[in-house]
Amino acid sequence: MVAQIAAVAIFLAMFTMIVSEKIERHIVTLGCGLLTLVVVFGFCMRSSGAVWEALSLASIVRTEFWYQAGAASTSVGINWETIFFIAGMMIMVEGMAESGFFRWLCMALAKLVHYKAVPLFFAFMIMAAVLSMFIDSITVIMFLAAVTVELAQLLRMDPVPMILAEIFCANLGGSATMCGDPPNIIIGTSLGYTFGDFVANTGAMAAIAMVFVLLYFYLYFRRELTSKVQAQAPDHYPDPSQAIVNRRSFILSCVIFGCAVVLLVTHAQTHFTVSLIGVVIALGTLTASGRQAKSILRRVDYKTLLFFIGLFVVVSGLEQTGVLELLAGLISRVSGGRPMAMVAIIIWGSAAASAFIDNIPFAATMIPVIKTLAATQGADLQTLAWALSMGTDIGGNATPIGASANVVGTSIAAKNGHPIGWGRYCRALAPATVIVVAVSMLFMFIRYF
Amino acid sequence: MSGQLIIALSRQFGSGGHEIARSLAQHFDLPLYEKNMLRHIAQSRGVDPGRLERYDELPKNRLLYRTVNGFSNAPEDVIAQMQFQYLQERASAGESFVVLGRCAEEVLKWHPGLVTMFVAADIPFRKERTMKLGHVSESRALLLIAQYDRKRRSYHNQYCKGRWGDARCYDITVNSGKLGVEGTARILADYVKARVDQVESGWGGTE
Repeated sequence: MVAQIAAVAIFLAMFTMIVSEKIERHIVTLGCGLLTLVVVFGFCMRSSGAVWEALSLASIVRTEFWYQAGAASTSVGINWETIFFIAGMMIMVEGMAESGFFRWLCMALAKLVHYKAVPLFFAFMIMAAVLSMFIDSITVIMFLAAVTVELAQLLRMDPVPMILAEIFCANLGGSATMCGDPPNIIIGTSLGYTFGDFVANTGAMAAIAMVFVLLYFYLYFRRELTSKVQAQAPDHYPDPSQAIVNRRSFILSCVIFGCAVVLLVTHAQTHFTVSLIGVVIALGTLTASGRQAKSILRRVDYKTLLFFIGLFVVVSGLEQTGVLELLAGLISRVSGGRPMAMVAIIIWGSAAASAFIDNIPFAATMIPVIKTLAATQGADLQTLAWALSMGTDIGGNATPIGASANVVGTSIAAKNGHPIGWGRYCRALAPATVIVVAVSMLFMFIRYF
Repeated sequence: MSGQLIIALSRQFGSGGHEIARSLAQHFDLPLYEKNMLRHIAQSRGVDPGRLERYDELPKNRLLYRTVNGFSNAPEDVIAQMQFQYLQERASAGESFVVLGRCAEEVLKWHPGLVTMFVAADIPFRKERTMKLGHVSESRALLLIAQYDRKRRSYHNQYCKGRWGDARCYDITVNSGKLGVEGTARILADYVKARVDQVESGWGGTE
């Protein structure tokens, strides 16, 4: 009981400190992680085994950590598979950014649609979704929003509708694959699902929802897209090839990105785990970038990796003390043990929570909860996992603070003289969030029950 | 006056700080930067100044906005940073100017030509001015004073190490209620002139 109270207190303190932003979030999670190890496992539980289980270091040397897709690497403690994969993707993305890949892609696509506002709007929404299926949505939005502002200035149009639609589609695209959004990576590695599993389930939901989203955003923004577009064409348009900083590293980046996609898509067949794929693409990027390798490594966001490590330890405190079983029991009682009600509670509950709080700690916390629900109530774990995935990934769209891509996109807009307040953001994106969550829930009801 | 002179004036609401800043700018023949900075910034970005001005000198709400990898999406935060950058660019270009509020005493603290001041006043003096200039009732004037002071304090303290209005953070702190707005402007102009003379005569005056 004391251990449970201590674990909950540490978890709540961590969440409060993350929200307050007084202290950097990786320091918060690492500090709270250390407290969990010392206070919860050490003083309260007096269990060195719990400490080792939380650190989960032994999992790295196991064969299944590197090979044998489909097996869950670890269910308690630090999910090193997630850490290795995200680190690898970060290194690859830094290499791609340095070569000018993203700017070139945006400019090439704009040229392809002849810089016309409405086709550009659709093209950038689709590109945001497709890129986010494989690359983190923060990077996608960072480049896409910057190019959108540049093109909007050129075409004398308001960039805000496009940036808002891109943010939404980036988060939606991220929900389609195992590597698109951190909650999906955590869900996939913790429960042993493959890239193909995600594509066949959350990917199908995202694809159907995307049709509604494209239509919704066009109808919502059509006046802004068409009214202010200049009658006169600009003197010159940017040349996509000028975006390429270094031709050799650009080609290598494209090849490495292609290899990463192939490795991810086929990992159920090759039996390579995502941690192995992360290491392979990181090594490939560093080898190909030669002298730039050091600068790429320096730019990797270590703080996010440390944030994950601390977070996993804090969540393991909740898990090992049985707090999450209590939460699972509560969901079970509210749903009356009916699987459809459980799915509805998980998808809408996750969406509502993710609209206001960081969806990564939420997803990490909920995984043991859905496992308990599946074990005790006989609900299908996969169905609950897809509900959790869609809820956490899509719910974040509803508010400007719900997901990291929202923060980055709205920040770039504001820096360029287009501040976006809660009102304007939520009026446009909250209804779209409700539409996608509703479509996903209906899809699950029809397909899985 | 041969060197660079930057006068950073902070003020309590209703103390006449704005008027004093304008008077100092006229006296030393310097541009005054306040809300007009946003007009310049908006012009350079080709956007409507009204969009930026609504977030001018306002504190951000930490619960409503987040920062990710150095990107803050609080419009108040972004507008503040734009103004800080604008001031730093002007100061680095060697320009002399008067700036009202905007944390200038902290943002420009490394510039040798900086003179910082805080204008406060007693409540009765501020209330009278607010009622007269704003054509508002006594209770409304008191409410405005409380609201604006709270906003300015939160805004300042979000970006500065020193506390808003703390005498230790400014070169001179003055109560404008004693000499009136004009009288305070005169003594502040004398103070600035003394500082300029001191620099030009080469005397450090730090003892």
